[in-house]
Amino acid sequence: MTVATEAPRILLDNVSVSYETPRGRLPVVDRVSLAVDKAEFVVLVGPSGSGKSTILRAIAGLNAVESGSITVDGKTVDGPPEHIGFMFQKDTLLPWQTVRENIEVGLALAGVSPSQWKQRIADLLALLRLSEFRDAYPAQLSGGMRHRVSLGRMLAYQPAVMLMDEPFGALDFQTKAVMGRELLRIWEAERRSILFVTHDIEEAVALADRVLVFSPRPARIVAEHQIDLPRPRNLRALRGSPDFSAYTRAIWEALGDTD
Amino acid sequence: MTDPVIAEEILAPSGPARDGIDVSALVWRLVLVIGLLLIWEFSAGNLFNEFWSSRPSLIGERLFALFKSGEIWRHVSTTVSEALLGLFLGAIVGTPIGIALAHYRRAAKIVDPFVMGLYGLPRVALAPMFILWFGISLFAKVMMSFSMVVFVFILNVTEGIRTIDPDMIDLMRTMRAPRSYILRKVTIPSIVPWLIASFRIGIGLSLVGAVVGELIGANRGLGWYVVRAGGQLDTTGVFAGLFLLMLLAMIANQIIFMIEQRALHWRHETR
Repeated sequence: MTVATEAPRILLDNVSVSYETPRGRLPVVDRVSLAVDKAEFVVLVGPSGSGKSTILRAIAGLNAVESGSITVDGKTVDGPPEHIGFMFQKDTLLPWQTVRENIEVGLALAGVSPSQWKQRIADLLALLRLSEFRDAYPAQLSGGMRHRVSLGRMLAYQPAVMLMDEPFGALDFQTKAVMGRELLRIWEAERRSILFVTHDIEEAVALADRVLVFSPRPARIVAEHQIDLPRPRNLRALRGSPDFSAYTRAIWEALGDTD
Repeated sequence: MTDPVIAEEILAPSGPARDGIDVSALVWRLVLVIGLLLIWEFSAGNLFNEFWSSRPSLIGERLFALFKSGEIWRHVSTTVSEALLGLFLGAIVGTPIGIALAHYRRAAKIVDPFVMGLYGLPRVALAPMFILWFGISLFAKVMMSFSMVVFVFILNVTEGIRTIDPDMIDLMRTMRAPRSYILRKVTIPSIVPWLIASFRIGIGLSLVGAVVGELIGANRGLGWYVVRAGGQLDTTGVFAGLFLLMLLAMIANQIIFMIEQRALHWRHETR
């Protein structure tokens, strides 16, 4: 684990979560401890349905934990904490609002004064290369563009922590690669904590400072890999490199151990 | 900016306008109507006794006379106000009940059989009771109309709220959105299409309610006019009344359609 120079932004201490089902209690997260630093990009990989999403939801205050504790910026999570941005696999845009209005949701909920909205929207749309689509409705956009709007709404909220639950999982291979590149470009310009869930190992290595490998349900951390690839990363060049392959192979093996 | 994948996505042009008027469909519609009216006109009196079917020219004359004397407005305004009052009362009462049923699942489960029982009850059978309670007043017909319509709103609104994507609400919650904000931005816009659908279905039903009320006891209204004409073996009068009722339903439908186009434009502007 990296040596934290400051207190970690997110801290999970021995967290377990289980769901009540008609057939009894189903453990989904099993004594997970982890820390995410202030500008760290941490990726959680593991089989689908293993409980990684539950961890993210618990940090966002959407799910209660059964035991253990979660703190964000030193405060124990009990309901949604401040300055958290969340992205689901679905874009969750409001279909009856335009691109601009959807992004305004983030500004409004962050308490940004409406006098600044116009400028902020223009900046965000330029950053996300969506300027021409300011007044389009989500139904008029492609899947990749909708995800960019969703990312824009999150950035408008100015989160200190971004929790991303397979945010690009529903996109085709190429669009997914583009979104990964865009995310890195934005994050490398202005670093914040990201906790990113995926089951795509290449995506994990390409993005992460650190990859945590999870077991099938109930989720436990089975391996941890520091990804020491230089930044800013050129993902196209990176994918063919021996270092990149070594990391993906190591993670494949860690996952294989959990069968 | 020279990213090939982005370039490829650059855009989804908006497709051709769908709201344009389809002229050839209009022409065909006209041809169909004129053709059927001609067949009716010339077969009546030849193939069968026109006593049973009247004929379009006679019906047209009757309508003209009704317009000229102004009698028509008395009947149309009566029926329309009964139906509209019933419709809006149904919306005003049904919508909050629907919201409450979607919100309090436990209560909804408990009352569900009763709601469905009332819904399944042929409301026409309530007409004698309403006449008994409220006489042949306007209110009796409004209640009849209301009883037809209110369930449409209750059931549609409940269903509309239940189909809201929970992730949408969760996403708002992660940004610490107040309840009122979620209601305004997510819940209410989500039920708008269901409300419009309810109005669309409800308009026809509210007319049924008003007319049924008039059939049982009234002294004016299109339903009353039809029954009276029937009683006097005046088929021309019956058809004139039916024609006016059909016209009302068509106009109402068109109004709803226009409202829908405006309110749900985000749906129609697909690529």
